Amino acid sequence: MRENILKLSASFVAALIVLLASSMAFGAGKLKVVATLPDLGAIAAHVGGEHVEVAVLARPTQDPHYVDAKPSHIVKLNQADLLALNGLELEVGWLPGLVERARNPKINPGAAGYFDASTAAKLLQVPGTKIDRGMGDVHPGGNPHYLLDPRRGADIARALAARMGRVDAAHAALYRARGEELAARLDALAAGQQARFAALPESSRRVVSYHASTIYLTQWLGLEEIIQVEPKPGIAPNPKHLALVLTTMRSKSCSVIIQETYYPQKSSAKLAELAKGKLVILEGGASSLQPGAYEARITRLADALYAALK
Amino acid sequence: MTRTLLTSSLAGLPIWASVACCALVCGAQGAHAQGVTVQAADQPAQELTQQELRALEEALGEDVAQREEVAPPAPASAGARAIQQMNPDLSLILDVAAAGFRGQPRQLGAHDPSRTGFNLQQLELSASSSVDPYFTFEANIVFAQFGVEVEEAFARTSALPWNLQARAGQFLTPFGRLNPTHPHSWMMLDQALVNAKFFGAEGSRGLGAQAGWLAPLPWFLELSAAVTMADGACCARSFWGAQSPGVSRPRDLLLTTRLEQFFALTDALSLLAGASAQFGPNPTGARNRTEIYGGDLYLRFRPLQNNPNRRALSVQVEAMQRRRQVPGDVLVDQGFYAHILAELSALYEVGARYERVSGMPDDPLDPEWTGARQRLSLQGTYRPSHFSRLRLQGMWDRVAWDDVDTFGLMLGLEVLVGPHGAHDF
Repeated sequence: MRENILKLSASFVAALIVLLASSMAFGAGKLKVVATLPDLGAIAAHVGGEHVEVAVLARPTQDPHYVDAKPSHIVKLNQADLLALNGLELEVGWLPGLVERARNPKINPGAAGYFDASTAAKLLQVPGTKIDRGMGDVHPGGNPHYLLDPRRGADIARALAARMGRVDAAHAALYRARGEELAARLDALAAGQQARFAALPESSRRVVSYHASTIYLTQWLGLEEIIQVEPKPGIAPNPKHLALVLTTMRSKSCSVIIQETYYPQKSSAKLAELAKGKLVILEGGASSLQPGAYEARITRLADALYAALK
Repeated sequence: MTRTLLTSSLAGLPIWASVACCALVCGAQGAHAQGVTVQAADQPAQELTQQELRALEEALGEDVAQREEVAPPAPASAGARAIQQMNPDLSLILDVAAAGFRGQPRQLGAHDPSRTGFNLQQLELSASSSVDPYFTFEANIVFAQFGVEVEEAFARTSALPWNLQARAGQFLTPFGRLNPTHPHSWMMLDQALVNAKFFGAEGSRGLGAQAGWLAPLPWFLELSAAVTMADGACCARSFWGAQSPGVSRPRDLLLTTRLEQFFALTDALSLLAGASAQFGPNPTGARNRTEIYGGDLYLRFRPLQNNPNRRALSVQVEAMQRRRQVPGDVLVDQGFYAHILAELSALYEVGARYERVSGMPDDPLDPEWTGARQRLSLQGTYRPSHFSRLRLQGMWDRVAWDDVDTFGLMLGLEVLVGPHGAHDF
């Protein structure tokens, strides 16, 4: 009996050692980046190339405000050299507890491996006066959905490349070069699409958004966002407000509603139908970590929007 | 010259001043269709042309637009924000309920709606912050109808090596799924019976220290051990309880251990399994001990695609067995709860819970609890936003020692102000 217990214990220890070794060998030598959002992950993967291993916590189909704080994310964060997050409290409902339980000083706030991308973005809708939740789920630091503007994406590519170079100095020059290359492509993309949208007649440059998440997109493309389907950020639509949206669309000759894939679509679809317009569903983030994935996602987004507006 | 002076003097002004100047210039433009006279203190008056005015307005407009794009807060609020950022995150959570019971209310939790009429379940003040690069701080102060209590106040390490983490202070011990959490994250308005009977009305908590280790494995496996004081009728009733004989040896302390594992079975389906145990002294005789063993499972299904309404289905089961040495005997009892929760949308959820807790004759802690007690609860919840909640809960409570069942209906309101802290899975 005792012999059996000893054998069992030895087998358990051996299995543990094999698992530990395989765990350590996984991605050995590469810079391990954990990104909270797919867009940040795609930018990090592009900048880092074969020298990084990127894991993304939220899916493009998930509302980044409401991600389950799964303990499997803790494992990823525990092994990370760098955490890239959106910031501005977008992930406040799930990320802080994960970081705290990850026991990884390299990615604690204030450490070199803690990269809050919002610090590199020019922000919009930063409250200059006292705010409270009577205004809805307003983010005190400013609107957090800046990744819908490739110009901000370019700024973040440069800043993230610099931060990756700080954490992994051996490849700093490479990261910087790739960051610059991606940023230049994003700036060119931004300028090209801007010119394309500018050629649209003014009456075609009005949109309704579901959530207050498209201000960076509309500002980039020179569009006027006339109203949101949500009466206030994070507050579910009600019939009275939907009626207001419809009358506003009609009075301003606006026929396009835009929203991310992770928001409810029935109200928006009905509004679009009644307004004889179109509902444009935007991807919630880059769909892969392949090089150019963020650029491709922004291009698809702009193309879909242009097709609806023209 | 005047344009240069004016432009250079505007460049350093805050937005409000620039806008005021712009309004001044625009107003002057309206008043003097042919031009405007600007008198600098040490310069002779000169007249601006329409082109110059237009150029000024455009420059101002670009300045304002650029500033709005960068959008720094106004200087006064920037200072306020800096001060705010040095403060801990503070939030207040209010839980109140209206309740009606037919039969004798037998609620056990300290924050349960427990009488017919209005109930203040709790007002929780939460504060959290980093202390320095090595510690974080967290406190939950609870105001209830009859006083104030420090539910939790502890410092937690954030930079220990070897995947270790420790905390010290007063905290809810890491036993099971429900015990370490606060009422606002519970699936029901009241505490589970087995938790209240075995741990106490406030759950298992105490002053002490805890260490946890995250195994460096490809999946989540965490081991925790906490040592706390074993006294307190509210929160260690199976141990020293209301008595406080003091600590004269390590065995006089309460030891709580927990092993927790998580498995992402698919993208949508997650399983968390835990095993917990508590060991400590009880006052029924010299060296008499109490042991509580528990197992818990949490299964959650939440599709990550095509799920804009954030629908989810969760099942949580927690079972415990308690063994108490008493003179000449070992008393063994057990209990469990099983809970199913359907999140129908971001606005609505419904849930059901079934509980069963055994009893025995001549139990020194609960002499009236002579047989099994069962309770069935159903709830429906409406969340107008992420920060408020209305929950209607009905329950049927059957005890073996009384022929009369108790029925209850409760309507709870919860509101939260301040930053909403992150919740664990």
